[in-house]
Amino acid sequence: MRSVAVLVFPGTNSEEETVRLLRVYGADARLVHWSCAQTLGEYDAYVLSGGFAYEDRIRAGAIAARDAMMDPVIDGARQGKLVMGICNGAQILLEAGLVPGSGDSRRPTAAFTRNVPPHFICKQVYVKLTVEPRRSIITAALAAGAVLPAWAAHGEGRLAAGAEQMAQIANENHLAFVYARADGRVDDAATPNGSALHCAGLVNRDGNVLALMPHPERVFPARSALFESFVKGVEAS
Amino acid sequence: MTERRLAVRLKVPDNTAYTALVALRRLGVPVARVERATLIVVAAADDSAALEGVRRDEALFNANLHEVELVRCSAPEAGEIWVRARDASSMQAWRLFDEDGAPVPRATLEWARDALLCNPAIETAVVGR
Repeated sequence: MRSVAVLVFPGTNSEEETVRLLRVYGADARLVHWSCAQTLGEYDAYVLSGGFAYEDRIRAGAIAARDAMMDPVIDGARQGKLVMGICNGAQILLEAGLVPGSGDSRRPTAAFTRNVPPHFICKQVYVKLTVEPRRSIITAALAAGAVLPAWAAHGEGRLAAGAEQMAQIANENHLAFVYARADGRVDDAATPNGSALHCAGLVNRDGNVLALMPHPERVFPARSALFESFVKGVEAS
Repeated sequence: MTERRLAVRLKVPDNTAYTALVALRRLGVPVARVERATLIVVAAADDSAALEGVRRDEALFNANLHEVELVRCSAPEAGEIWVRARDASSMQAWRLFDEDGAPVPRATLEWARDALLCNPAIETAVVGR
């Protein structure tokens, strides 16, 4: 059985439900706190859960992205290990330059930034898979166009980037998930934060790093087709 | 009414500035001290009205935590970098000092900007001399 590290930075707050749901699908998932970062290289995959790592000082995810704890995650991603970031974890992956991954490491080319309107939101949403499932090993076990429930709980979840980077995201299949209605229709009303391209989640070029803003692990009862697909991908990788 | 720029900074220890210092040093940037302020522009009849307006704005200013002063210069000074989010009206002003307490050189500021202080996807930065 392959092992999955769920990273815990100072300020992470969704690690318990994340590790619990990974175990539902058979993953050997363990919490790894910042004081034990030296063990991270031993893991086969990584999940960065939600919260407010380092209180989101400077920018959401900025300090955590440059923390020593991210060194083995970045090295692992380059080796093809699977990495999934949810909410604050997604912000960290963008700040680390791993997603969309068009920039150098730790040189971000996009961000999940302040919502429009500029309020914290907490509501159930749906996200729709917009890429071919096999585009990413993390989504490979999902149905094409899958619509998944999740909880948006963030003040900074709007995708923003320069025009060139935004075109790259759209044209090079980085847009993995968009906000949608329960029936799969995509429109502004289903997008709670003004995110460009209705973006809820991005995948890197190689398909092994996924950043998703809403929380699949907060849906009740605790089931998530995405987590199931992620665990299958870890076992297959 | 004319526009005036003011700096609001913490008078208690600034954990964000300290975190920035630790992160910058970890990234190899040679810096010994970091200070931070929020720069805002207000329209007021005179300096004292501008200061008083900020002191009365409880969203910006808490007398137990903050101090406010006028900023006379229109661009960052030596050792200083101003970072503005593209969708924000205020700016973060960072001051970086070396081991001797002197402002760091421009090259160090640019290093700090690129390594941590500015995400160019959503922010712009102006670097002092």
